[in-house]
Amino acid sequence: MIRYLCFPAFLLIWEFLSRFKLINPIFFPPFTTIVTTVVDMISSGELWLHLKISLARALSGLFIASLAGVPLGILLGGYAKKLELLLELPLEVLSQLNPFLLFHIIILFMGIGEPPKVTIVAWTCLWPITFSTMTGVSQVNPSLIKSGRAFGLRGLSLITKIVLPASAAQIFAGLRLGLGYSMFMLIAAEMMGASSGLGWLVLNSQENFQLNNMYAGVLVIALAGLVLDGLVWLPLKLWPQLAPREAVNTAGD
Amino acid sequence: MKLSPKKALTRPVTRYGLLALLVIVWELSGRFNLVDQSFLPSFSETIATTVVMFQKSFLFTHTMVSLTRVMIGLCLAVVSGTILSYLLGRVLPSVGWTLEPLFRVFGLINPYCLFPLLVVFFGLGEAPKILILAWVALWPVFFSSLAGLKDIDPALLQLARSMGASKIQIFYKVIIPATAPSIFNGARIGVEMAFFILIAAEMTGATAGLGWIVHNAGALYQVSRIYASGLIIVLLGFTINRFLIFVRDGLFFWGRASLSGRDSLLPQNRTRISPLTLKAVTLTVAVVIGLGIYQIIMAEAKLNDPTVIPEYRVWTE
Repeated sequence: MIRYLCFPAFLLIWEFLSRFKLINPIFFPPFTTIVTTVVDMISSGELWLHLKISLARALSGLFIASLAGVPLGILLGGYAKKLELLLELPLEVLSQLNPFLLFHIIILFMGIGEPPKVTIVAWTCLWPITFSTMTGVSQVNPSLIKSGRAFGLRGLSLITKIVLPASAAQIFAGLRLGLGYSMFMLIAAEMMGASSGLGWLVLNSQENFQLNNMYAGVLVIALAGLVLDGLVWLPLKLWPQLAPREAVNTAGD
Repeated sequence: MKLSPKKALTRPVTRYGLLALLVIVWELSGRFNLVDQSFLPSFSETIATTVVMFQKSFLFTHTMVSLTRVMIGLCLAVVSGTILSYLLGRVLPSVGWTLEPLFRVFGLINPYCLFPLLVVFFGLGEAPKILILAWVALWPVFFSSLAGLKDIDPALLQLARSMGASKIQIFYKVIIPATAPSIFNGARIGVEMAFFILIAAEMTGATAGLGWIVHNAGALYQVSRIYASGLIIVLLGFTINRFLIFVRDGLFFWGRASLSGRDSLLPQNRTRISPLTLKAVTLTVAVVIGLGIYQIIMAEAKLNDPTVIPEYRVWTE
């Protein structure tokens, strides 16, 4: 627990440096000023508006991606051995399709309303979810599947009774990665072409040189990301079998 | 492995079949006007545009500028991430343990939010772009290297110590080889994310680079240019990915298998590359970086050249 004191310590140092003008307070306003700005923006309702829009976009994108990604992953994972050669190259090329590039193309087809933003988030989340599910499904213990077959499970019932529970941890890890990606991409998409949302708020404040508002936006985005990631603990507590069996040592998760 | 004649024929067909089919569908949908041509120009037209752009509008310069930014950013990230992780994981473990949550949060900070801030500090030149890439790639490298440090087999350290190795020798003979594969894995994730962010960063504030072309073409409604530069972006990403897999399998063959799920489909072929190949690869990378830096320096002058067709000059808001 002691090591979480590094957060208040960090903020205290920031506050101190800025208050005593050791770093330029115009570029680095004191932390308390930023918090005051956040409070002001909450009381004026401005922040809530943008937060609501951003969250709705991110979560609906994630929802669409999981609806498409999990079945796709099960399909690919189940037949991975047979389809390996066929899918290897197209999947590699498709996953290289940069979402920002795609954004410009999607705008051509869908215009500039909400659909392109949700689509871009969904596209970005689709890959971690699909690949994770695929890995999980292809790693299901074959003897489990054999014994399921021996008990007469076929098709959908085999998937719901054996494959899904056995690969739940991997699928969940994929969804969690997707959640991180969704916020990340959304902010970018909102900065590039939107007139609302947290990403727009940050970019707009920067362009108008309202650095207090910019920092407030950044703070709220960071907090929203932390809260969303923290919500993951709830299903983990309820269903411990979702916990990853092996620690994954990347920063992206 | 010797393939039977039948397999030798069907293997390439299955391997490239789906991709070829996609390209054919793309081409035909353009040819027969199944999709509006102004939204989706056919594949052949996209290729033609790419060639024209290489000849007339410095596509090569833009590509090299983007590639070099990624490379410099990655180098910065690997060097600083490795030093930081050794410092915090090995030299001052208690400090590292205390600061780890703070670094986790730093790693979660959206690089996009950071970009306006960096522009405020470093202006509009190359510095903010390269720094944002370095920042993005730094955290995967750092955490991966830290995890690698924790995973070092203590028996190896004891063995080295019992054989009388000095601290410096242990560092060179045990710690660096043991963590190199994890650092490389981190760098691979890092370069992928950096490439991602680079395109975005070039879209919002740059006057050269592949992202800039896409953005510019989008704003000027030159649809075939969007697709042409997109083709190059995908090709470049694909090449970088394959190159990194090649390096990993050839240089860090003793490390654990890759972390990312999508590699599970790729063939695993881990054999050490010969010293000659290594020299050739190093030389190529050095030449590419050198050429890229030259192109970055030249880009400004070239792209602002008044004799160039106006359509391809730097577009200002």
